[in-house]
Amino acid sequence: MKSMNHVFKGKKNYARAKFDGCSEGKDHIHNRGKRFIISSFRTVSIAAFLAAVIFLAGCTGSGADSPPASGGSDGDKIIKIGMVGPLTGDYATYGQSVRNGVQTAIDEINAEGGVNGFTLQLIAEDSKGESTEAANAVQKLIDQDKVTAIVGAVLSGETATVAPIAQDSGVLMVTPSSTAPGLTDTGDYIFRNVITDDVQARQLAEYVVSELGLKKFAVLYANNDYGVALKDNFTAKVEELGASVVGVESYLDGDEDFRAQLTKIGNEVDALYIAGYYTEAAKIAQQARRQGIEARLLGADGFYSGKLVELGGDAVEGALFTAGFYSGDSSENVQAFVSTYKQKYSEEPDMFAANAYDTMKIVAQALEKAGNDRAALKAEMANVKDFPGVTGTTSFDDRGEAVKEVIILKVENGKFSRAR
Amino acid sequence: MLQQVVNGLTLGSSYALIALGYTMVYGVLRLINFAHGEIYMVGAFIGLTASQIAGLPFAAAMVIAMAGAAVVGVVVERIAYRPLRKAPRLAALISAIGMSIFLRNLALAVMGPQTRAFPIPFEVKQFTTGRLRISSFDVLILLTSVGLMLGLHFLVHKTKIGKAMRATAEDKETASLMGISVNRVIAFTFAIGSALAASAGVLIGMNFNAVDPSMGMMPGLKGFTAAVLGGVGSIPGAMLGGILLGMAEVMGVALLKSEWRDAIAFGILALVLLVKPSGILGRNLQEKV
Repeated sequence: MKSMNHVFKGKKNYARAKFDGCSEGKDHIHNRGKRFIISSFRTVSIAAFLAAVIFLAGCTGSGADSPPASGGSDGDKIIKIGMVGPLTGDYATYGQSVRNGVQTAIDEINAEGGVNGFTLQLIAEDSKGESTEAANAVQKLIDQDKVTAIVGAVLSGETATVAPIAQDSGVLMVTPSSTAPGLTDTGDYIFRNVITDDVQARQLAEYVVSELGLKKFAVLYANNDYGVALKDNFTAKVEELGASVVGVESYLDGDEDFRAQLTKIGNEVDALYIAGYYTEAAKIAQQARRQGIEARLLGADGFYSGKLVELGGDAVEGALFTAGFYSGDSSENVQAFVSTYKQKYSEEPDMFAANAYDTMKIVAQALEKAGNDRAALKAEMANVKDFPGVTGTTSFDDRGEAVKEVIILKVENGKFSRAR
Repeated sequence: MLQQVVNGLTLGSSYALIALGYTMVYGVLRLINFAHGEIYMVGAFIGLTASQIAGLPFAAAMVIAMAGAAVVGVVVERIAYRPLRKAPRLAALISAIGMSIFLRNLALAVMGPQTRAFPIPFEVKQFTTGRLRISSFDVLILLTSVGLMLGLHFLVHKTKIGKAMRATAEDKETASLMGISVNRVIAFTFAIGSALAASAGVLIGMNFNAVDPSMGMMPGLKGFTAAVLGGVGSIPGAMLGGILLGMAEVMGVALLKSEWRDAIAFGILALVLLVKPSGILGRNLQEKV
């Protein structure tokens, strides 16, 4: 999940991109400035600048009909929650899922009377997937909107850029999706509520060795940061548990022919861990079966797409993989979340939406204990223990990383079902 | 190890089919047709549509894909290359790159970014002897490639239009003085080259059960490499280059590490070009088409 542009490759839905009122207005003004460029560049740029300033002022003003609520100021009945991520552009689908997940949680909380009598209000800012835009957005959320906490950023690059800003301003920031290592090391205001690549690889290794008793493994990994992180951690954990990895081969995203690697791996292994995305995994599975490799197939959240079965057919039957969220889960809270979300946005919530939803619920729970106070809120976040969310039971360790049991899914009769 | 040879042969013959298109076009126009990889992709999509939506059997889908891609190839030549034939060669090259990007984005817009499954419309059998496994699909790829290459050889050497192609490759002006319609010959060359690319697109798309708009990029590069390796402009060179490249890739994985796969393949290319810049069979001017 580290290279976000590769996650759910096929699912990018540009047409869905919606603009929030503010950024749309800014674009508009920018374009108007361009039209008069012939007359005098300087006059126009000054005019555009002034227009932008006036507009921005108007924009923030319109967002706060009520007096500005903020950390610490008493007497207000609104707590503002910021969200930053790509709402337009190539990565819009991830940012929109996160925003929708947070909004779903906020609506539920407000319907139940809010937090200590305060109504939660979401202010979502578009980063367009760019770190500089994300930094501006976070600065605005903190300085002008005076948000109490921020859910975001979405892409790892964005989060790395904005985390120090939130930390320096003493504003709680929880990313529901960035998986790059070390992000929470920025400081004690930065938390992460998503399973990282090393965690899912290690938990899968533990499951297949300790629970299923598999002994001999081969790894075929995509040669990018996602694949390498999975491979390294899976191999390390398998060997730590006394089982063996007998073959490690790599491929590049977009490769089609994996027979040379598979022939080299041979058919003597119990399981083949494919550290990559579903498109290649489906092809690898088919070519492996045709070469007589009957080993059980294992994978990570890169497998989680209906396309895996559509492209892989019978060859992926029985495959096991880790996932951060399973929308088909029969438990009551997951089904309730899925149906509310579907009603609101007429699509299934994905992992991004689910993590964002849980994150908002956790932040709200901490807010309830801490009151509308930024420092107390941060302290309460660190105390979250066994929060029962839709992505599993969540606690945070002392680095601010979510600790939860990874879901393991299995392909059974062409459908996903929960193995753990 | 024998298994790896089979892997290399089937991979290599698909490269060879793509390389033939590059080499033929280069032969007559001295132009590297960078849109060739996209023609391969378009062919795969046409084949997929014919076989899935129209429900046609494999052979018919293949023929339709080849015919459709031939038309696309001719249209590309007509609008992107013919107006630039008298322009500096760099202009046509840039036009080719533009065409490649255009076709890929067109496919993206029309078909969407998802990878589509291309189920094999017949039962795949496995032949096992000792440790060697060959699927009926490997056999099909090899037979189709060899068949098409033989057909091409016959076309170029035994037919009138083939003679015209060779003459055009030799010297366009003289050929036109001899009464050959150079434009027609060039269009025909594009049609044949594109049809071969489409056949490779259908075979590969089917074998790996996946068709998507960006599928032409890497095979296009590899086909180009194979053509240069064998000696661009030479038809036997393209076949040899394709097989060599496929073998080099597979052996790179088998004997060394899989990370080295492309490095080895392209390293060989660099070496061959250092020692023999015209490619392995590049000197054979008589074979130029």
